[in-house]
This record gives sequence, C-alpha cells and structure tokens, in this order.
Amino acid sequence: MSRPIPLHEIGEKEYIDPANQACQGCGGAIVSRLVSKALGDCFVRAEVACCGPAFMNIRAPSIYVEVFEGAGALMTGISRGLKRIGREDVVVLGIIGDGGTVDIGYQGLSAAAERNENILWVCYDNEAYMNTGGQKSGATTPYAATTTTPIGEYSRGKLERRKNVPLLMAMQGAPYVATASVAYPEDLLGKLVHAKGIKGFRYIHVSSPCPTGWGYDPKDTIKVARGMVQSGLWPLYEVSNGILKLNYKPKELKPVREVLKMQGRFRHLTDEEVDRIQGEVDAFWSRLVEKDGGNIF
Amino acid sequence: MIEVRFHGRGGQGAVTAVRILASALYLEGKYTQAIPMYGTERRGAPVVAFLRIGESRINERDLVHNPDIVVVLDPLLSRTVPVTDGLKEGGLIVMNFPKPGNEAGIGGRFRLATVDATGIALEALGRPITNTAMLGAFAKASGLVSLESLEKTLLEQWPGRLGEMNLRALRTAYERVTPPVDVSGIQALGKRPQEEIFSRDVSSWRIFKPQLDEGRCVGCRRCYIYCPEVAISMTQGKARVDYSSCKGCGICGEECPTGAISMIQEVL
Ligand SMILES: Cc1ncc(C[n+]2csc(CCOP(=O)(O)OP(=O)(O)O)c2C)c(N)n1
Ligand code: SF4
Ligand code: SF4
Ligand code: SF4
Repeated sequence: MSRPIPLHEIGEKEYIDPANQACQGCGGAIVSRLVSKALGDCFVRAEVACCGPAFMNIRAPSIYVEVFEGAGALMTGISRGLKRIGREDVVVLGIIGDGGTVDIGYQGLSAAAERNENILWVCYDNEAYMNTGGQKSGATTPYAATTTTPIGEYSRGKLERRKNVPLLMAMQGAPYVATASVAYPEDLLGKLVHAKGIKGFRYIHVSSPCPTGWGYDPKDTIKVARGMVQSGLWPLYEVSNGILKLNYKPKELKPVREVLKMQGRFRHLTDEEVDRIQGEVDAFWSRLVEKDGGNIF
Repeated sequence: MIEVRFHGRGGQGAVTAVRILASALYLEGKYTQAIPMYGTERRGAPVVAFLRIGESRINERDLVHNPDIVVVLDPLLSRTVPVTDGLKEGGLIVMNFPKPGNEAGIGGRFRLATVDATGIALEALGRPITNTAMLGAFAKASGLVSLESLEKTLLEQWPGRLGEMNLRALRTAYERVTPPVDVSGIQALGKRPQEEIFSRDVSSWRIFKPQLDEGRCVGCRRCYIYCPEVAISMTQGKARVDYSSCKGCGICGEECPTGAISMIQEVL
C-alpha cells in the first residue's frame, strides 16, 4: 500500500515548463505536473487527443496520437519496445482523459489490463469530453448538465450511473489500482511513487475538476475537488492485488449539497434530486467501508 | 453590407455578443449573420467571432476577412493578437480599455473608441464578463443599432435578475464610451502572436493578479503545489510569483492558509 508524501518532501525539480495553453485554473494541468514530479527523470509519456496536450509542456519524451481511443495500444507498443531494448526501468506513462479511458478508449484499456502490460495509466477525470466542448462521458456524475445532457423540458441532465472503472480494473486483477484527487497531493504523490515501484498494469484515476465545463470560478478548483472527497462523491481508495484500502475515512461525510451547489452543472437540481444523489453516495460509501481492509472479490 | 469582427478571450462571451447583436439588428429590419469560430478555444485563450449586417439578403458564407469594425473585449489582447489585421482604412475599433484611445497602443488609419468594460462588468455583474458592456459601447460608437433593441434582446436572452444586471452593464458602457479618436499618428505597440507561442508569456490572460505579503508567508508550499502554471517557486522558505507565467486563476489566494496572497485587479 502507498505512503502519503508530505508537502515538504516533494522535490523542487520541475519536469514541466511554466505556463500552458489550458484554461485558467485547470485541474488536469495540476495533475499532470504532480504526476511528472512524482515519477522523476525516467518516464515516457503517451498522449492521445484530449485537453492533455494543452497542458503538455512536459520535459520528457512524448508520443502523441490523434485517435483518442488508442491509448491502450500506444502504451503497449512503447512498453514492448522498451523491453526489447532492455529499458524496462523506464516508466510508460499515459495521462489520458476520461473519454479516452472509460468510453472510447475502454477496449484498449481493458485489453492492456488483461495482458498485464507494464504500463502506468493515469486518467485525469474532468467528467466529460472537454476538449470538444463538454459532451457527457461514462465518468460524468449523474444529473450533471453537459452539452449533450442539457436542462430543459425533457431533460434533467445525465441519466446514467457512473462507470466505475477503477473497480473494474481491480476486478480484472490489475496489480495496483487507485483513485486520487488533485486536492490531496500528498496522497496522489504517494500512490504514484508506490505505483512506480510495481511491475505490470497500474491504474490511477484522478478527480480533476474543470472550471470551464463544470461552471465554477477557476479559483475554486481545489475547493471543489476537496468537497467531492469530503462528501464521498469521490472516495479515495487503493486496491493492491485485490485488497482494498480506504485512504480517506472521516467519521462523518459532509453533505453532498454544498459541493454540488458550487457548480453550474448542478444548479438545476431540486431538493429531491439532491437527496437522491445523497442516497446513492451513502449506499456506495457504506459498501466501501464494509470492504475496507479486505478482498474485493 | 457592414462586417464586424469580435476579439475576446474564452469566457468573455464574444460568441453570445454577436448572437445578441444579430438578433437586435434583425428586430430593426436588417439582414444579419452571426458567425462563431470553433476550435479548441479555452477559457482565457484568444477567440474570434464575426457579424454581417446588410440591408438585403446576405449571400456570403465565409469568415470576415476585411472588417469595417473591430470590437475588442479584452484590454490586453491587442498586445498579442493582431486585432487590426484586415481592418478597412478609416475603420472603427471599439475596445475595452480604461484609458483614452490614443494610449491603447493601437496605431493606423483607424478610429478608436474606448470604454472600461472590465470595470463596468465587475460593478454590474461582479464578474469580468465584458460582452454586454461592449455591446453598449458598440451601439454608441457605431450608431448602427439602438439601445432599445439591444435591451429587448438582452432580456429575452436572460429573463430576470441576470438580465437586469446585464442591462446595467449595457447602459453604463453606452454612457461612458469615449467618442472615437483618430489614431493614424500613433505608433502601434505590440508583439507578434508568434512570440507569445514561443515565450509562453501568459500575463495578458490575467484580470486579477496575486499579491504576496512575505511577512505572512509561512512557507507551507500549498500555493506552490497547487499552481497549475508552475508560476510559483519557493526561495528561502518563501513563495515567489513569476508574473509572466501567471494566468491569475486565483487558486493560490484561495488555498493559502494564512491569507498571505490577495488577488488584486491589474492596473493598466
Ligand atoms: C476517434 C476520435 N474521435 C473523435 C476525436 C475528436 N476528439 C478529440 S479530443 C476529444 C475529447 C476527448 O475527451 P476526454 O478523453 O474526456 O479528454 P478531455 O478532452 O476531457 O481532456 C474528441 C472527441 C478524435 N480525436 N478521435
Ligand atoms: S476545458 Fe477543462 S480540462 Fe480542458 S483545459 Fe479547460 S479547464 Fe482544463
Ligand atoms: S500558501 Fe501562503 S503561506 Fe503557504 S507558501 Fe504560499 S504564500 Fe506562503
Ligand atoms: S493566480 Fe493561479 S496561475 Fe497565478 S500564481 Fe496563483 S495559482 Fe498560479
């Protein structure tokens, strides 16, 4: 299991150039910087079409493909190539959007997990296809307004449940799976450093709020991310070889209402709808608490 | 036919502005086209949108290349984006700038009207979304559309309190915009867009900037860790901001536990 890294232990060295082309206050940009700081000098970055390239100014070799369903195949190829030249010490890192992970990239992801490819897949989750204007994805929180699930006479936002890809990956038997949040850098860096030391398929799914798509002031990115964790909307846990550990376990969760109300995409919610979300969150949380410390399957 | 080009930054509402303007002109019996330009524009990044106004049916379907009027929604955009490119001789620029036209750093055979739309928007809306203020300024400086039709369209777009707030921005800018001045004698100031791409100076994206009170900084490193732009470094246990890399998102100010960082409005 991972060990959180205190802020004062995080190194000064930067692997990303200052100023990017992402929106002001982009959560994904913070994630990509922290990931590079955790991995240090020795990684190759795989990239597919998403907002990622906008905050890409990374000082590491990168390979980019335009087709955003291709991350699994791309990372597999890089990893096999490195093995061939005897450089398995190099981490093959993908920083991939949620659309390219849980929807259209899912086939390549699950196949890579099945083959236990030696790769580290980091999904920065802004809960929609943001690069193309904010269409809903399988990772979008239910009831959210997106450009394809607008609010109107016939629609109350996204209807479907979230696809829980971290748990799916764990069920596929991946050696290491974790969720993380941009608001908890100590936990995120600890998980990355831990994952770096493991061979095989590693998957980290990071909640990365997006001011543009979620409709909040850019200054509140961390506040929103923190609120999601504290309310149980985004639980922090890790699964090592099937054993689940909750990394953030407060005595009591905060009500979801507060963090939902901060975001334009939930402004339309009625009290009844907020209660429904609260019910779903509570139910999932109690199941997680039940499994904490034990085997998930 | 009159052609207009709007320059703004993602989030300032340039696309909404051309749509409102086209609808208002339609109410006055004009033929209009509102043309957004789609790309991977992000909040804060430069965007353009276009408008055509005709007395008869408009058959053109391409983008506007030689505008009669240019509207600039952001005070610093002209430093990095060639806003006067293709503007017709004698053309009009309506610009969000808190000082008179001859101090805006724009030169050429044009006329320039200015208005402090950021200030007005902050007053009226509490947020620096400048599109509706710039519509008021456009109406007065160009004389092409009446305030009444703009007001009507605006209230249709945003009924209720939001509409009232935007009405205030519209009217205030209509009153405060300066008469256009001739800027043919002025040396244009500004960088080429190319330079921005290479140097990655994003300081012109900012409306607010973080101001650090060193005495209150306890060196906890939170601002340094959370800055999305790597604009903060730690020297001898104190945070330091590199302003050329800072987009003014405000995360550092929000997350600093001691209140050492306050966000203050940029003065031009
Ligand atoms: C096969 C394919 N379909 C569509 C596109 C267009 N496209 C580029 S980026 C993108 C959205 C990616 O969304 P996501 O993976 O969630 O990342 P985000 O943009 O949110 O960072 C789309 C649809 C593409 N590049 N390739
Ligand atoms: S759209 Fe969202 S995820 Fe994409 S760059 Fe902007 S803030 Fe970041
Ligand atoms: S967050 Fe505040 S106290 Fe902490 S290092 Fe930054 S300025 Fe100093
Ligand atoms: S305002 Fe945003 S970009 Fe500027 S230093 Fe603070 S966190 Fe960084």
